[in-house]
Amino acid sequence: MDIATLSRRRLLQAGAATAGLGLLGRPALAATPVTFQLSWLQSVQFGGSYIAKSAGYWTDEGLDVALAPGGPNAPVEPPVVAGTALMGISAADYTAAAVANGAPFKILLVAMQKNPFTIASLPANPVNEPADLVGKRIGMATANTPVLKALCDINDVDINEIEIVPTQYDAAPLVAGQVDCLLCWLTDLPIAMTMQGVENVTMLMADYGYAVHSQTYIATEDSIANRRAELVALLKGEVAGWNDYLADPFAAAKLTVEMFPDAGLDIETQQLQAVAQVPLMFSQLTDENGFGWWTDETVAANIETLALLGRDVTPDLWDRTILEEVHGT
Amino acid sequence: MRQLPGLLLVLLLWEGAARLLAGSFLLAGPVDVTLYIAQNAELLGRALAVTLGEAALGYVIGNAVAILLAILVILLPRMEALIGAVALLVFCLPLVATGPILRVLWGPGIGPQVTLAALAVYYTTFVTLVVGLRAAPRSWFDLVDSYGRGPWTALVTVRLHAALPYLFAGLQIAAPAAFLGAMVGEFTGAERGMGVLAIRAMRALDVDATWALATLAAGVSILIYAALGALGTRLFPDRPALILATGGGSARGGPLPALGLALASVAAMAVIWWALMEGFALNSFFAKRPDDVWVFLVTAPEAAANRATLAAAFGETLRFTLPGYGLGLALGAGLAALFTLAPRFAGAALPVAIALRAIPIVTTAPLIVLALGRGAVGTVTIVAVMIFFPTLVACLQGMRQTPGQVLDVFDSYAAGRLSRLALAQIPAMLPAFFAAARMAVPAAILAVTVAEWLATGTGLGNLMALTASTSDYGMLWSATALVTLTAGLGYAAVALIEGVVLARMAPEQRR
Repeated sequence: MDIATLSRRRLLQAGAATAGLGLLGRPALAATPVTFQLSWLQSVQFGGSYIAKSAGYWTDEGLDVALAPGGPNAPVEPPVVAGTALMGISAADYTAAAVANGAPFKILLVAMQKNPFTIASLPANPVNEPADLVGKRIGMATANTPVLKALCDINDVDINEIEIVPTQYDAAPLVAGQVDCLLCWLTDLPIAMTMQGVENVTMLMADYGYAVHSQTYIATEDSIANRRAELVALLKGEVAGWNDYLADPFAAAKLTVEMFPDAGLDIETQQLQAVAQVPLMFSQLTDENGFGWWTDETVAANIETLALLGRDVTPDLWDRTILEEVHGT
Repeated sequence: MRQLPGLLLVLLLWEGAARLLAGSFLLAGPVDVTLYIAQNAELLGRALAVTLGEAALGYVIGNAVAILLAILVILLPRMEALIGAVALLVFCLPLVATGPILRVLWGPGIGPQVTLAALAVYYTTFVTLVVGLRAAPRSWFDLVDSYGRGPWTALVTVRLHAALPYLFAGLQIAAPAAFLGAMVGEFTGAERGMGVLAIRAMRALDVDATWALATLAAGVSILIYAALGALGTRLFPDRPALILATGGGSARGGPLPALGLALASVAAMAVIWWALMEGFALNSFFAKRPDDVWVFLVTAPEAAANRATLAAAFGETLRFTLPGYGLGLALGAGLAALFTLAPRFAGAALPVAIALRAIPIVTTAPLIVLALGRGAVGTVTIVAVMIFFPTLVACLQGMRQTPGQVLDVFDSYAAGRLSRLALAQIPAMLPAFFAAARMAVPAAILAVTVAEWLATGTGLGNLMALTASTSDYGMLWSATALVTLTAGLGYAAVALIEGVVLARMAPEQRR
């Protein structure tokens, strides 16, 4: 069933694109080349962007968008500051740190309303709520100690009762019994464990007061002032792509695997991830106001959590004017 | 054929270990690895082609630069300390600092992968080749002098011939490094390749894929290594035997001029650092200049706190680097001696040694950490594994250079293997050993910072990796400068010892 509807969708899309070209007879106008710096390797994490690209939402806006992959040694902020990427995918805490170090960034869109940070554990020794962390060994990058500290502060847990074990970012230390739980993203290591047949328990930190916008789209003040039209066009395509994604996450997973045959992607993993990130990205707020939206209240909650992380920011870090133009509000 | 029993033993041990660790998602055995490779041959083939292409390009560029630099050093001996030191400092630059900058400079594509592969090979070839270009008997140079010819003739007619076996040793050692450099280069944001698949496999807890990729990477490295070795043997069937003929080498310089040159090379490096960043107009948000680092560490209000953070991390790093360095050198030289005493053993053990070095550290680090813990022993072992292989190869090469006449004398007195080793082969090995010991300084520091980054979460490696989330590029470049300076100092210290020892044991190297 799925396959039939999917191929019909694609056919319709392809047909529409061809028809559009024919009817308008639009000459092959040189589209403006723009680079969008992703925060990780190609995967369905950026499914909406792939839809925008393959469905021609950006071509319609006169953009030729290159989606630059990230990686373990590919911070997003340098190419955006340097201008080699017009926009990049960061997170509110990373952006706040970069601004504190002199980068002139604004957040233009919040793709993940809920932070994906999760405590993953095994059913035999589960962490269902923050209080369960007491007496546990947690495997994580020491870089994330402030994150754990913030969670503890919000939920009145003494961080000194938790043993932090520095580990590389994969699930092996948990499965091998070197630690009792892991600090990770909801959308990667737990899904990897599920795929390998390892049952696991997840506790989303956002459900326990950890309010930090993630997958935030950032650009420099200079770009916002001087390349505004391109940014509006870029976000228009993004919003259209992610709206399609919400309608059919499995189609996004399929498209991802097809677009990147050399990336070693597995369709089942991509489907699980595609579904898992929906509740992080879409909410009543985005249903009512459109993809990527935020309000003064969500920003205030972010500022509180960021203060616990040692980052003092003001609402100025967020600039909603471009998104307002995109959503026509 | 001689390697067969060794290989079989390795495969058996490997499968046994994998069965023992079954369910821990840390190690896959040869059976599962073979199955995975067979089932995913197309995907792996494409990835291998991509990474091999990047590595090959980097290998050619890096070695070409190394050869030019080595010739430059021989023609302009006064510049040796400066060129050598700057070459070393560039080699020591941590990936965490250079990766993002290379990506900004090159944009999307294979630029950073090729550059990092070239950076991974050029220094080892350079150092080995400089030794080789000197490894000619004094009398040959006297002959060139007596014909009234200059350094150019000496280079073309004497040095290049004497250096070829050394060049081949260098090219052989460099091959696995190029492949690893290209893989790590893919960490800076790539669409495809072995490095991309490796990251994905580790995240996905796909232990079969992880070890299949590691096995392929190691296998390819070993094949290239063996092919270059075979080519070397074919090209030089009877290697020059007169290398250690004595001559009246004059020991130049002392500790004081050396200090002056060290200062000069640090100054040169700072100028190059500044000029490159200004030349490419790199944004000072992430591309900090020497003066930015000065402000960060000396004049800024929080400079004292910055220094304290840096010093604490530095202490942690040194604690693991020094024992690992010593252990790696001892293992390399010790095994070389053992292989010379029992050549049959070498046939079986050499592939193991190469494999250990060729398997990406990213894959082995978690396993070593599991076996030996996240403390000192694990990290020290990772460092030792990284440096013992180049040391072993260099020492074996050096021992083979023992002059035939000297060995004939030992034989005619029916001297035992041990006295032959102690009195002839080890002294003959010393120049190569010291070249390896110098080379091992940056390798040890790179290994320890990678282990800290990936496994232990301590020290300078961790501090530099933090930058990704904190954008604290002042700290990153301060750490980079510190790592680089430390490597330079370590190198200078080894060179000082080398000068003293070689003046007694291998005076032709002092020319």
